[in-house]
Amino acid sequence: MKSKDNSKLMMTLMKGRTFIVLVVLLIFFSIANNKFLQVTTLTMLAKHVALYGILAIGMTFVIITGGIDLSVGSVVGLAGMIAGGMIQEGVTLQFAGVTLYFSVPMIVIFSIILGGLVGLVNGFIITKLGVAPFITTLGTMYICRGFANLRSGGATFSSIAGEEGLGNTGFKSIGGSIGIIPVGAVIFLILAVIGAVLLKKTAFGWHVLAVGGNERSARLSGIKADKVKIIVYIISGVMAAIVGLINTAQLAAAHPASGDSWEMNAIAAAVLGGTSMAGGSGTIVGTIVGAFVIGVINDGMTMCGVSEFWQKVIRGFVIIAAVVIDQMQRNMEAKMALQSRNENK
Amino acid sequence: MKKKIVAIVAAMTMTFTLAACGSSSTAPNASSAAPSEAPEAASEEAASTEAAAETTAETEETASTAAASAELLPGGGSKIIYCITPSTSNVYFKTVQDISTSKGEELGYEVKCFSHDDDAAKQSDLFDQAIADKAAFIVCDNAGADASVEAVQRARDAGIPTFLVDREINKDGVAAAQLVADNAQGAADVAEAFCESMEYTGKYAELLGLESDTNCQVRSDNFHSVIDQYTDMEMVAQQSANWDQTEAYEKTETILQSNPEITGIICGNDTMACGAAAAVKDAGRDDIKIIGVDGSDDAGALIKSGQMVGTALQQIAMITQTAVEEGDAYLNGTAPESEKQLIPCVVITADNVDKLSGFVYSE
Repeated sequence: MKSKDNSKLMMTLMKGRTFIVLVVLLIFFSIANNKFLQVTTLTMLAKHVALYGILAIGMTFVIITGGIDLSVGSVVGLAGMIAGGMIQEGVTLQFAGVTLYFSVPMIVIFSIILGGLVGLVNGFIITKLGVAPFITTLGTMYICRGFANLRSGGATFSSIAGEEGLGNTGFKSIGGSIGIIPVGAVIFLILAVIGAVLLKKTAFGWHVLAVGGNERSARLSGIKADKVKIIVYIISGVMAAIVGLINTAQLAAAHPASGDSWEMNAIAAAVLGGTSMAGGSGTIVGTIVGAFVIGVINDGMTMCGVSEFWQKVIRGFVIIAAVVIDQMQRNMEAKMALQSRNENK
Repeated sequence: MKKKIVAIVAAMTMTFTLAACGSSSTAPNASSAAPSEAPEAASEEAASTEAAAETTAETEETASTAAASAELLPGGGSKIIYCITPSTSNVYFKTVQDISTSKGEELGYEVKCFSHDDDAAKQSDLFDQAIADKAAFIVCDNAGADASVEAVQRARDAGIPTFLVDREINKDGVAAAQLVADNAQGAADVAEAFCESMEYTGKYAELLGLESDTNCQVRSDNFHSVIDQYTDMEMVAQQSANWDQTEAYEKTETILQSNPEITGIICGNDTMACGAAAAVKDAGRDDIKIIGVDGSDDAGALIKSGQMVGTALQQIAMITQTAVEEGDAYLNGTAPESEKQLIPCVVITADNVDKLSGFVYSE
């Protein structure tokens, strides 16, 4: 009986492993640098984590269905360039010879719709044309990065404060803060809650998990698998566009190379949080904890003055270790299930 | 030799006749003898036809001068300049392409621009393309000091001179000329301006570029050769931000948390300086002096508004223009005086920022 209690404790520890790692890291860096455990440092951390954390929320949905979305980093750049361009240059209608300027809410909505459209295209190609998600999103990754550069010919849009006369001021507030809380972190929190509820409490969430677990049986039980898949890519695209807007507002500049290789951070956060690359399992809470682990490693090591090269090495080790433990947990679960079945006999 | 000249002229004429017909251009005397597609041949048909007679005459002249001085390469034969640079998502490299195009066209060339995205293999392919296209000469901002030698040598073997701009390669006598901005002098001079603004005392942080990049080391070393002379100045943090704006923004925020006492940040390029300036502004600090290197208009705007102290302008527009002019002169029989040419950087501060525009400093 004792051993059973032990293994139960073990299971609880393993399930909360990423969280435990996070706590250990926080304690470690607080000792290593006495300025680490401060409110201002933690809000800054939340602000940094928000960028790829939001990407990771979308990525979690995609990975659960057994797919992957490599295009998000490029969509970050593209959405930023579109928004930056609309503020700085407006939209010139050549046939009418006029330049239209839009208000900030309009620009935000337009950019988000654009992100959603990229997701729709991804989803359509993957489901209706049967191209592998890796290939499809690799393609759209290049396409979006290309368009981001084409928008300005490679230049940066650096005056995105807007003009009072044109009625397009206020974009920078997306990158600002409410009191001491960064707006980015607030958006991250809101999206995380929406994402978690959507995945755990709605029929759609169950469909996502079902499609990822076993697509054939999901189809047979009447789930419209294609529709579910298209929607998850749209979610991912929308998330990426939101990150593009936040990033542009924070930098007060839209740079076409923004978001380069961020998809890797998003995938890492999801995997650290226990999302299985094979599909079928994963949680938003896990992903967020995973995102914070990466964020704490990045910022903590920077504050301790560790070189960028070591940061990369350590990040790699943490990711592999997380997946190894994940595998161990699965094996253990299977073993325990077998054990209890034998006892019941 | 005479036979060779005749062959070249014949090849030229045939090439243009073929190009004018919109078919692929093959050159009978090419050692590789690979039939090559002239990618833009069709669209240039009319221009080519018109230019053909003139070009042939000029080539004759070129070829004869080449005969006079055996060291000079004859050029590929066509009137096409290949301009190969890193990704134009950096305005700096876009300037190289833009200036090459405008100056080249002014001198009567057709200019084709490509990006190698800092990939030596892709650069090698582009050189092959240039050779196949019989480029007159190549203007290149190369993809690696060692990795590029082979490609430049291949162009030389095919008779095409290469004019390297902005970055050097680690072998002499391969390129026709290497025109580079004096990074060492530029970094040292802007560091001097930084020290002055810091009143020669205080703590500061450094944002490095990609640490495997030669420029990153050269700039950092020369920043320190000046700053380290002043014993009251102390570097308390040094991080790489990979030349990237967002990364510089986040690293600066983090450094400001751990070392709020800093009053200065030195950055390896202007992109990172802009990121650092945005973070400093968001933190509500106005006592932090920031410098960069490049001389971009974005940095210029920040210097004007007082968010940056200064930058070192690499006169890339001038460098490129010189390269194209030297290329033209080379084909007309005048080799550049020396292969390695250092173009000095200009320190831009609030005093002279008005004279900066599009990497051009106008006195």
